[in-house]
Amino acid sequence: MTAVTSTLLTPRLTTVVAHNWKLAIAVAVVVSAISMAGLPAAVSFWVVGAAAALVAAAFTVNAYRRHYFGALLVAPAIAVLFVMNIFPLLWSLGLSFFAYQANQQTIRFVGLGNYVRILTNDLAAHATWGALINTAMFVVFTVSAQMIVGFLLAILFAKQFPLRKYLLILVLTPMMLSVVASGVFFTYYYDPTFGILSYVINSISGNQFILMSNKVGAVAGIVFADAWMWSPFVMLLVLAGLVSVPKYLYEAAAIDRISRWRQFWMITFPYIRGLLMLALLFRTIEAFKLADLVILLTKGGNDTLTISYHLIRIANEQNKTSEGAAISYLMLFMVIVLTNLYLYLANRRTKGA
Amino acid sequence: MSTIELRKVTKRFGSFTAVKDVDLSVAAGEVVCLLGPSGCGKTTTLRVIAGLERVTDGEVVIAGKVMNNLPPEKRDIAMVFQFYALYPSASVGENIAFPLYHDGISGAERTARVNRVAAILHLEHVLDRLPNQISEGEKQRAAMARAIVRDPNCFLFDEPLSRLDVELRQTMRGQIKEVLQGLSKATVIVTHDQLEALTMANRIAIMKDGLIEQVGSPHEVFAKPANAFVASFIGTPQMNLLEADLKTFADGTADMTVAGTSLAIRTDAAVARLQPGKVTIGVRPRAFTPTDTGDRGTISARAELIEPMGAETLIHARTAAGADIRVVVTRSQRVKVGEALNLRPDPRQTHVFDGAGKAVRS
Amino acid sequence: MAESILGKLGFRRASGVDEAGWGRTLAVAVVAFIYFLPVLFIIFTAFKPQGDALLVPPTLSPTSLFGLIPDHFVFKPTLENFGSVFSRSMTPDGAPEATGFDRYFFNSIFIASASVLLALVIGTLAAFGFSRYPLKGNDTYLFIILTTRMLPAIVVIIPVILMFRVVGLSGSYLGIIMLYTAFNLAFTIWMMKSFFDELSPDVEDAARIDGSSGMRVFFKICLPQVIAGLAATFVFGLILTWNEFLFALLLSGPDTRTVPVAMNQAVSSGGRGTDWTLLAAIETLFLVPVFLVTFFLQNHLLRGVTFGTVKR
Repeated sequence: MTAVTSTLLTPRLTTVVAHNWKLAIAVAVVVSAISMAGLPAAVSFWVVGAAAALVAAAFTVNAYRRHYFGALLVAPAIAVLFVMNIFPLLWSLGLSFFAYQANQQTIRFVGLGNYVRILTNDLAAHATWGALINTAMFVVFTVSAQMIVGFLLAILFAKQFPLRKYLLILVLTPMMLSVVASGVFFTYYYDPTFGILSYVINSISGNQFILMSNKVGAVAGIVFADAWMWSPFVMLLVLAGLVSVPKYLYEAAAIDRISRWRQFWMITFPYIRGLLMLALLFRTIEAFKLADLVILLTKGGNDTLTISYHLIRIANEQNKTSEGAAISYLMLFMVIVLTNLYLYLANRRTKGA
Repeated sequence: MSTIELRKVTKRFGSFTAVKDVDLSVAAGEVVCLLGPSGCGKTTTLRVIAGLERVTDGEVVIAGKVMNNLPPEKRDIAMVFQFYALYPSASVGENIAFPLYHDGISGAERTARVNRVAAILHLEHVLDRLPNQISEGEKQRAAMARAIVRDPNCFLFDEPLSRLDVELRQTMRGQIKEVLQGLSKATVIVTHDQLEALTMANRIAIMKDGLIEQVGSPHEVFAKPANAFVASFIGTPQMNLLEADLKTFADGTADMTVAGTSLAIRTDAAVARLQPGKVTIGVRPRAFTPTDTGDRGTISARAELIEPMGAETLIHARTAAGADIRVVVTRSQRVKVGEALNLRPDPRQTHVFDGAGKAVRS
Repeated sequence: MAESILGKLGFRRASGVDEAGWGRTLAVAVVAFIYFLPVLFIIFTAFKPQGDALLVPPTLSPTSLFGLIPDHFVFKPTLENFGSVFSRSMTPDGAPEATGFDRYFFNSIFIASASVLLALVIGTLAAFGFSRYPLKGNDTYLFIILTTRMLPAIVVIIPVILMFRVVGLSGSYLGIIMLYTAFNLAFTIWMMKSFFDELSPDVEDAARIDGSSGMRVFFKICLPQVIAGLAATFVFGLILTWNEFLFALLLSGPDTRTVPVAMNQAVSSGGRGTDWTLLAAIETLFLVPVFLVTFFLQNHLLRGVTFGTVKR
């Protein structure tokens, strides 16, 4: 409902009015350029910031005058996101085209050099590709596990029963744990000597069980811990959908003697499909960033290095900041492609139905 | 044989009793309306018949079998819900076809039946649309179609017309009646609209606070209400109920004080049984005859508000003592605001209710 | 008759299609308990005497539950670890000193609630804007907002550190609150938008015709209907922000440090290996606020609100 009154024309460049954003941009650019060239960094930062604020103010007044309510409502969020997220992201992107190391002072422009290196150079590429494959594997396993377990848990809690509130909070607690605490304790649970897992298997088979001795075990351990922590997230979203189905639809289905299976697909599923998609989307995005559990449980051993952990090593421990930026943008690119694909499919289905 | 019988059915929700000791029987092909104000227990009674609620006490017998412990799936009933309960993700045609899957009929036969029912209810042109793409009236007919496409033991309707506008209601009333007549199944309709009940039902059961106040044909409940509640619930405009003090009764005339005025009104002979004391007189607005001069047999009132209703006129009048009286006269009888009226009640239509509200009638 | 007696005791047989009885409670209780076990173990460890934490066989319970659990699985509960959280000796024979954890807990609570609430306010307004006043590139804007969540913290960290240092926000409350607000915005906007999309416009149109301004419509009509969404977003945001580690590590100063950072420090320093009981005690205490908030908001979370999936 944007009300654009055609009588309000964009003012010409030279009119000095509060809402002349074109003029504001022009002034801002000129002032910024001058200050960056002539003034010390700290001061010019503030000058550029003030110029940006001027432009923003012009836009805001413009929006207010033209009743662009949408723009007004959205503006604060965009502002915060821009400053806190987008600007740093753009800075990193720019950095990926240079050769910069945080512990040095030199900056060299290398264009796509970093990207080429991480993808084709023997050492770097091997680590990169290996980490990418591992990440893909983790994402598939842990997200599938979360969706299945979360969905089953939601079905359990879908009906009202005594003590439901108290049992629900028990299942939600794993989500609330700090990753440090849960990661550390899971190493304990998996420990061959002291851990409960090994103890139980020991009582049955008589041998200690070393979960982390091979890649399969290590991956299983990580996936299990991660899925355990985040299935409640999926459960909550699906549960919100399940409880929103109008009761009388099930009553009509009972009277019509429709089988439980068909009831699920025809009545329940349409209500939870959107939520399942939302859960899938967010959990996949988060799963790509999996690093903390890997660090805590295996330190990347047994070939469980994920791309995010690889990144941390490169940027933090080895100080190859630019290369790290290049890797992360590669990752971002892949996630963007995947997400776009996913959203496209999801939208097509809802429109078609 | 398609019948429904409720024997002393009681339904309690915790400490609240929604339905008390209800006895009702519905014969094959008979349409019974459960009528009453909100909260009277009519919908709960219907849900008990459907099996959507379990009885606390009593028996629900459908087609001769006691169904107390059977879930709705096993009772072979059809129900039309107040909100239609059409499955949102299936087309109208698919919605109607769903109950037939259980019977193991072939796809071709299913389609044939759906088409037949759609023709009866004029739904042929919307069979491919989704429920959210059709009008309220079409939704209502679709819900009905889904119910009649089967051959169930009985039909249950929960406020079928409450979501339709006035014009549509009129059309649908007639249509529903027509369709039901052709099916010869026991049918129970729940409604709060007396006009619906009066036009569609063979018998009406009026309920209040979980109890059935009266069961009878539309004519019976209108002309011979069993108590003051039924009397005031049935009939538009509402029956006039006047507080009175009965003094004596002789020769078919009751001597009483109505709102301060002493009146001698002709009533039913059974009034002789009553002790002198507090009673309620009920006279419907159309049962008054305005006369020119007042006597001890007329109630005098002053017209305050005139409502022309087309062929008739509704007059709101007030007695000297402040009681409201509604009178309906033909439009040829012109009455002006402030005019004094002398209203003579028709003795055959004058109801007397004793102190407890029960009708006194021979 | 038996049914009415059982009914009085609370064992009412399920009378509706969405009610279940004690049978389900039992089944769910078993599942929930098993799911909760790892957490329970952490909580129990908080109560164990310091030496007992790593024992074989693992000590599982503070009580023997009427002899059901054999004695060697039982430990003697103690509260000393909780005391250690706030004051303990830093050197092998030194006297106990205050650890500053009370300040860290306050920091966590303050920073998390401030940023989640801020994100809720800004994000809900923005979600309303996206929903009710869609612009031409709406989907693109929303997608870009989503991408802010896609990169791991490590990527954004260096420019943010530099930025903060220049502006002087390092180690300050404002800086980290602003950052966390930005984190929560993506999820808040997406969640709240889908809730707003679901509201039927009829009531709003009626209010507009009656003369209410846009803002009035928002507050009096739209907002009350999406309480479930607000509650869910608040809980999710709180949980995510509460446990955030990396940015807190690099951007908070000694005064503004949050518990996850302090936890990591307290536990891995000292060269004695992981101090299990201390870690368990900190984590148990740390769980309490989130637990309480989630518990009290549960009713709002479970109110049936469709999520923009099927139009009625």
